[in-house]
Amino acid sequence: MNKQGVKWLYKEVPDLVVKGILSQETADKLRQHYGQVKGIAKNTVTLIILGTIGALLIGLGIILLIGHNWEDLSRLTRGVISFLPLVAGQALALWVMWKRPGSAAFKEGTATFLSLMVGVSIALVCQTYNIPGDAGTFTLSWMLLIAPIVYLMQATLPAVIYLIGITVWAGTYWNDSFKAIVFWPLATVIIPHFVWSLRQELYVLRSIILSLVMIICASIGASFSLGKTWDGAWIIIFPSLYSIFYFLGNLDSNKITVNWQRPMRLIGAIGLFILAFIFTFKDVWKYGAVHSYGIIRNISDLSAIPDHIISLAIIAVSMLLFYDFVKRKNITVCLFGVVPLIAIVAYFLKGSTGILPIIIFNVYLLFLSVSRIASGIRNNSLGIINSGMLMLAILIIARFFDSDISFLIKGLVFIAVGVGFLVANVALARRLGGVK
Amino acid sequence: MKSKLIIGLFLLLALVQIYVPFSMITKREDVLKHGEQFKFKTAPVDPYDAFRGRYVALRIENDHVIKQGVQDFDNGRSVYAIIDLDDQGFAGFSDLTLSRPIGKAYIKAKTGYPSGSKIYLDLPFDRYYMEEKAAPAAEAAYRKHSQQGEQDAYIVVRVKDGFAVIEGLYVAGQRIEDLVKQENRK
Repeated sequence: MNKQGVKWLYKEVPDLVVKGILSQETADKLRQHYGQVKGIAKNTVTLIILGTIGALLIGLGIILLIGHNWEDLSRLTRGVISFLPLVAGQALALWVMWKRPGSAAFKEGTATFLSLMVGVSIALVCQTYNIPGDAGTFTLSWMLLIAPIVYLMQATLPAVIYLIGITVWAGTYWNDSFKAIVFWPLATVIIPHFVWSLRQELYVLRSIILSLVMIICASIGASFSLGKTWDGAWIIIFPSLYSIFYFLGNLDSNKITVNWQRPMRLIGAIGLFILAFIFTFKDVWKYGAVHSYGIIRNISDLSAIPDHIISLAIIAVSMLLFYDFVKRKNITVCLFGVVPLIAIVAYFLKGSTGILPIIIFNVYLLFLSVSRIASGIRNNSLGIINSGMLMLAILIIARFFDSDISFLIKGLVFIAVGVGFLVANVALARRLGGVK
Repeated sequence: MKSKLIIGLFLLLALVQIYVPFSMITKREDVLKHGEQFKFKTAPVDPYDAFRGRYVALRIENDHVIKQGVQDFDNGRSVYAIIDLDDQGFAGFSDLTLSRPIGKAYIKAKTGYPSGSKIYLDLPFDRYYMEEKAAPAAEAAYRKHSQQGEQDAYIVVRVKDGFAVIEGLYVAGQRIEDLVKQENRK
């Protein structure tokens, strides 16, 4: 149960006991069942945020200051100066680990500062010796040197810097998928920390930020590294990736219940809808499915193997999670999570015209939005009804302007959407009227 | 007990973090002290591209090898480029090998796109860092002196065991830093 809910319940309990609604015994049992609420004082959160922002600003300030009046110094002096930011960061971090091992604020702040200073030191050396702009090598060594900080100091911002860094690194090798693919093993380094942060109930912000960055970086990383060996592979890879986010965001181990606190569920769902929506357009199947966006397409080449392995692994994980939710009979989640499966079917049925996939996805989105509206009506949730209506509206508007489809199909889709809308509206009006 | 282990591991990490920049410095200092000195003439670069932040983008004039059998040196392959001098004493490249040459000065580099029998090299020097304020004057001087007809801009490079480090950028026989200082005094 939500922490806020338990807090609210505990506030109500004494009153309920006084009024005789609950017996003292039941009240004690309730407290025993839910246990103590591990509260975190507001000013601690503020301290963590301010401390981290402070560390970021100081770090960035030092980066900006470097190289000023740098010319007049000898190479040796510059060499020594290069180490100063790094050693300062290390000393601060060590002091915090020694004296304040319990302070999340101090640890997060100094760990972030140290992570930036590692980069500053290497950059200073590169400047002094005119080391070529091999951005990839620089970024990778920087990231590998800060990854252990995440675990030794239990700090999340270094993990965020690391994820962004390896994504940038993969980007410098976007036309060399054999190298870019290393993004995935590099990214898994952060997963234990992510699991740990999800288990830390006291600090919700931490896991939200980390989830957000993971979603963004995994999406960008996927576009740099995957789907280059196989035409139109993105049509299956991206729905699979977003369905994994969506399923993970829906797992029970994650107890947070508000939408914005579950970026994986929210962004996963939005991503799946957008992809399914894109798949209702003819051009996607006409052009997108026959071209891969990478310039290298050595399907028979050895360098294609890692691409295939990671792609298949993503698809397999998505299918397993889907199967898991089917087994639990969680229909609402399955309805969204089925997009990759439909995409696979559609991909193989695309033929030369791509008409079948368009019909499949139109029918699917119609069904999805109507069922969402229906489920909203059943649960009297206006939020769910509205999201369903919005999806439906987007679909209808798109079909109205999409003049490429033949009149017959267009007409049929319009009629179907119209019927669906009417039925939903009638049901909605009756139900809500009845409730009132 | 646990915190001692963590601090121990952290100290280990700190050493590695120091070792990486330290080894970068010692390797280059060694080359600058004991390496063989060469002068490479620079070519004009796209003026819009010359300065990114605080460095002069460099292009070496003789950055290619003319060789038969281009197909053995496909794009992106690690090669050893053998250095030779022209009659003016500027360095260029005479040959490429796939194994380490013996008894000749060479630079380890990657091949770029071949063009006819010319194989272009992706050389390990593409920039020369300058102070921010000195940048505009340096840019003007570099561009003027790397143009056709008045081509007397070059870099001095130290090379040891195939590893090259830039020692300085010279324009009209002067270090670019000194030239910029003179310009500023005018």
